[in-house]
Amino acid sequence: MVILEANKLYKSYGNRFTKQDVLRGIDLTIEKGEFVSIMGASGSGKTTLLNVLSSIDRVSRGTVVIENTEMTGRKEKNLAEFRKNHLGFIFQEYNLLDTLTVKENILLPLSIVKIPKREALARFESLAEELGILDIADKYPNEISGGQKQRTSAARAFIHEPSIIFADEPTGALDSKSASDLLNKLSELNEKRSATIAMVTHDPVAASYCSRVIFIQDGRIYTQLNKGDQSRQAFFQDIMKTQGVLGGIQNEY
Amino acid sequence: MSINQLIVRNLKKNIKNYYLYVFALVFSIALYFAFVTLQYDPEMDPATGSLRGEAAVRAASVLLIAIVTIFLLYANQLFMKRRSKEFGLFQLIGMTKGRIFRIVSIENFLLYTCSLAVGIFIGFAVSKLITMTLFRITGVESVAELNFSLQAFWQTLLVFAVIYGVISLINYFYLRKQSILSLFQVQTKTEDKVKKVSWFEIGYGILGIVLISAGYYVSGRMFSGDFASINGLFGTMLFILASVILGTYLFYKGSVRWAGHLLRKKKQGYLNVNEVLSLSSVLFRMKSNAFLLTVITTVSALAIGLLSLSYISYYSAEKSAERGVAADFAFTDEETATSFQENLDERQIGYETNQVDVLIFDVNVSNLITNDFEALTFDPTQMTMPVVSAKDTGAVDVAENEVVFTETNDIIKKLTGMKDSGEVVLEGENFNLPLEMTSMSDLSVINSAFSFGLPTAIVSEKTFSQISDGSDPSLQRPYDQHIGVEITDANQIEEANTIFKSLENDQYPQMSKLADERAQKQNMGLAMFIVGFLGLAFLVTSGCVLYFKQMDEGEDEKPSYEILRKLGFTKGDLLRGIQGKQAFNFGIPLLVGLLHSYFVVQSGWFLFGTELWTPMLIVMVIYTLLYSLFGILSFFYYRKLIHRAL
Repeated sequence: MVILEANKLYKSYGNRFTKQDVLRGIDLTIEKGEFVSIMGASGSGKTTLLNVLSSIDRVSRGTVVIENTEMTGRKEKNLAEFRKNHLGFIFQEYNLLDTLTVKENILLPLSIVKIPKREALARFESLAEELGILDIADKYPNEISGGQKQRTSAARAFIHEPSIIFADEPTGALDSKSASDLLNKLSELNEKRSATIAMVTHDPVAASYCSRVIFIQDGRIYTQLNKGDQSRQAFFQDIMKTQGVLGGIQNEY
Repeated sequence: MSINQLIVRNLKKNIKNYYLYVFALVFSIALYFAFVTLQYDPEMDPATGSLRGEAAVRAASVLLIAIVTIFLLYANQLFMKRRSKEFGLFQLIGMTKGRIFRIVSIENFLLYTCSLAVGIFIGFAVSKLITMTLFRITGVESVAELNFSLQAFWQTLLVFAVIYGVISLINYFYLRKQSILSLFQVQTKTEDKVKKVSWFEIGYGILGIVLISAGYYVSGRMFSGDFASINGLFGTMLFILASVILGTYLFYKGSVRWAGHLLRKKKQGYLNVNEVLSLSSVLFRMKSNAFLLTVITTVSALAIGLLSLSYISYYSAEKSAERGVAADFAFTDEETATSFQENLDERQIGYETNQVDVLIFDVNVSNLITNDFEALTFDPTQMTMPVVSAKDTGAVDVAENEVVFTETNDIIKKLTGMKDSGEVVLEGENFNLPLEMTSMSDLSVINSAFSFGLPTAIVSEKTFSQISDGSDPSLQRPYDQHIGVEITDANQIEEANTIFKSLENDQYPQMSKLADERAQKQNMGLAMFIVGFLGLAFLVTSGCVLYFKQMDEGEDEKPSYEILRKLGFTKGDLLRGIQGKQAFNFGIPLLVGLLHSYFVVQSGWFLFGTELWTPMLIVMVIYTLLYSLFGILSFFYYRKLIHRAL
């Protein structure tokens, strides 16, 4: 089943004279249960792509359809409602609210869905258990580590069981240990809950946890790699090679 | 880029960003200048002008300087905090602290100069309006002229130069103290985090409420005679002030936080976006906000209390004039009264006269007095009071061995705890006549030249004729009758007053209700005007401080709004939360302030006038409305902020 479908996405910034094209005709489909990563050098438009896919930013031309709902051309308020109910987000800078405890941060998206409190608390417990943050539930974000913050952020993205989760460089600010912890948890959740995840990253290691990697260059899709049945290590080598070709530098490992 | 270019560029950018600081400056200067202009108005000149009260105006202007200084210091502190990153950056690229200080000082200097120019211009423009208001309130019939007072100009310049100096000094110490790193961290540094609410804090909270209630309780009993000496009264007032202010602080620090946490705990982490933006954000800063909220509350309570009391006196001016004069015109000399009547006849002004014979007796009222108040100016066993016959007053029915007290001053009644009935003894030259005091009446019988604020005794016609020969001659005044002249047509009182004025008589006191009322109004009006001006300054400064604080919090919370909007919360969702937050931040200090001021007014209003509810409620409603404006303003500010967040 197709969760997200994007057709001929164009995005440009600036006025007529300073116009700068960031996305130049991107076509993309994401199936239910997929863990897709979008890679590219800085300035290639990957974050812009994620923003327009997730309706935080508007496209200049083209259409985005999520779960048979056309996203483009809708009113801002309407879009916000959709995001609230159907999308989940994980950002590079954690984006937790300082004024709330870990638990309150995680439960935030549920507050608008009408589900009973007991059910909400049960969901929180199981998710926090899986992500290993149950014991810090009553702490404030500035009292916990970066890895814990990012796992909190991930829990917040999963709690309302969204159709698709967008992750923007989730490992960007983490050390390699915390990063691989987080990625393991993400791919576990992806399998167990058959959640759909679209992740932007420039880290080949992070990308190797995914089932598919899309490379972008200069606002166009350059190529795609499918993991298939190969091991994570082999997939990682593939990604490195492609990135090498893309960036013009051959990495020796 | 040279340093001058840097200054100019900074200034341009900062005016746009910190227009509120500039506004604060311009406003303070305009307010001060207008006030000082008034001080030098020819009408205020003690020799030639018709308004007395230079000392009061001067005292008020000192108070105004204090308010303005505190206000500007606060604005400056926020201003510096916002710019700390910029200063850190300058230092990082190798600028010395001295140089940064110079930049800041020059920038401030330019800001102050421009603001002074604009502020003085505005102050000059509105000074006519203010003077007109003053004349209207005090009933001075003089045209307010728009004249630029050089004296006021120099004084304003001097005052703000001093404030500038103080602020520069503070900035100097601030910059010297901060390291580059701490400058970078000023904005991200959050206040000490809310952990769990400890038993201590619950204790604080309870103590706060106890202190406030104790203050309220004592204020209600202040004039009931339990603290029967001037020193005792003064000590009591200090106690009330201290306990209420401290109680307010602890109330914010403890009780409000505690209640909030309880509410939050009950939610088990399941907060909706409304609560996220109001409850959690407020609790997050409650500890450091407690002080600010206390200051705002105290200032508001003070302003509302003073405004209410002065408005009560103004409002009651008419009534107290009535009490003092008893008729439109009152005479004690028959000759003058007759010539006044002849004059009235000539002009065909209709009138009625009423002649009352007055005797002065010592009366032993010790039975009526329940409080032993040291500071009384009379001896309760020998209160010297005028005695009149019931026949002359026309309206009161008094039996033979009875007496009715009238025109009893509220203050005396309250301070002495005078009872409404009981036995008193009339002491003549060679007899003592016990009488039963049966009631207190409100009737105005004779003018105050006889009673000097003490009650007047009304006895039956028979008793009066019995005692008329036995009064102690040494107690009598040089006059022994009150002749009241009541004008039938109220429209002719003004004309009659002119006649009255032409019949000056130094020997015998004579009074005109109209003139009395005007004099009262003038005194009360000036007092009210000054208090009103200060109250307005209090109001605007406390409103602005809260508004600045909200701006500051808003900037700090901007990332949260961005996150929430990214997560899909609509602007409407967020704004509802913000409404709650504003209602709290502005509403709580206002509510507590109103409550405090109510108790202040309640405890001592009778010293100021005769009417409590109407003037107090008018003041409270107007204050609340004006104050709410700031809440609405800050709501709009948040709306802009949220709109821009994504």
